[in-house]
Amino acid sequence: MSVSRDDFSIAFRSALLQRGGAQKFSVLSLIFLALLIFFLDVYGVKFTKPIRGFLNDVVYRVSFLASTPTRFFPQAGKEISSFFNLKKENEKLKAEIEKYKSLQLNVEFLSDENKNLQKILETEYLNKNLTNIVLAKVLVDKNSPFLKSIIINKGTRTGILKGMPVTKDNYLVGRVVETNYLSSRVLLLNDLNSRIPVTLDQGAQAILSGNGTVNPILEYLPEGYEIVSEVNVFASGKDGIFSPGTPIGKTNDDGKINLFIDPNQLSFVTVNISQQKKDGF
Amino acid sequence: MSKGSFVYKIYNAGPLILLYYLCISEVDTNLEKIFEIFTLNFQIILIFYWVIKRPDIMANGHIFVAGLVNDVVMGFPLGISSLSYLIIIFVGTYVRNKSVNTTIASDWFTFLMAMILSNLLFFSLLNNFSELGFSYIKIGYNMFFTLFMFPIFWLLFNIYQITFLGSRDA
Repeated sequence: MSVSRDDFSIAFRSALLQRGGAQKFSVLSLIFLALLIFFLDVYGVKFTKPIRGFLNDVVYRVSFLASTPTRFFPQAGKEISSFFNLKKENEKLKAEIEKYKSLQLNVEFLSDENKNLQKILETEYLNKNLTNIVLAKVLVDKNSPFLKSIIINKGTRTGILKGMPVTKDNYLVGRVVETNYLSSRVLLLNDLNSRIPVTLDQGAQAILSGNGTVNPILEYLPEGYEIVSEVNVFASGKDGIFSPGTPIGKTNDDGKINLFIDPNQLSFVTVNISQQKKDGF
Repeated sequence: MSKGSFVYKIYNAGPLILLYYLCISEVDTNLEKIFEIFTLNFQIILIFYWVIKRPDIMANGHIFVAGLVNDVVMGFPLGISSLSYLIIIFVGTYVRNKSVNTTIASDWFTFLMAMILSNLLFFSLLNNFSELGFSYIKIGYNMFFTLFMFPIFWLLFNIYQITFLGSRDA
């Protein structure tokens, strides 16, 4: 019995303290170092913030470079297949141009009418705040089972602050949750930690909650409200962060939301920095 | 192949390069886009196998740094992945010290122990010291598939070891 206990303690101590050969550091010393770094980072000691920011900027850049080959091959495949479809695509585009030419006149008429009506109602033009937009490239889009976020190549240097809304083609995709000098992390709408106040076509208010899948869900709907498919969902702007009326997605048959922008296919996004500057966010 | 040759050194560094690359690049082993519940923590399989079989090519310091890099890229608090990887090293080294010869079955079982300890620490720290929320169902799927895939990668790494590194154990 005592021999086996000795064996256990020898093996245990050896596993923790063993050094030599390729191992320049013992596991125990590295565990203490990791714990120290962890608590310094979690409790946000003043001097660790700039260090973490600098580290983030460097690692994100290296990560972007390291991921280049993995982006190149799928892109090259797409380019080749699109080259063979050029003629067909050209005909399709010509037909679409004709269609849009006729629609454009309608749109101009409707937007003028809309502006005039807004003047009559004395409400602000919704897109007034969208003049100060920062275009950012997605540096890292690493898929994690626990966190749904992307890294963009713009940070505090360009005026990006924590909480700012991030859009693509005027559709909401998420908000900034971490800023560094040259980069920022954007929490996507489908992340488990994402909560956005939204309004539905019929005027109902709800909270859009990410659930880790591509289809977020609606919570806190009015009592007895039944979700039907094909209902548009917009940001309500009640939190004072998102522009009211920013489109997000549509409800589907399961009562979940089909986002207008696929969160797994982001390459460029825009950050609206005007509203936050004005409000001293 | 001579042990001092450049090609041998490259093969020798292969697992470590793969670990760093997985931590820093966009390449991930989460095939959620193909099969919604399929997520896999490949890094811990890689670390556990090589710590058990050839600890000389998986230095603790490198694994620690790879963990820090992983934290930065994934947005976790710094040091948390390093801690989780160090627990894997600890269990792996303990098993190595205690056993004379290991089989795929014994490695699979001890890997389960290592993974449970490592994930327990990882998610306890994350739950208590950060504001990040996570789904326990996803953690369950992740652990299940990681465990399920372990023998497949064990065989692949074994083939790599026999083919390129020339010996079964150090």
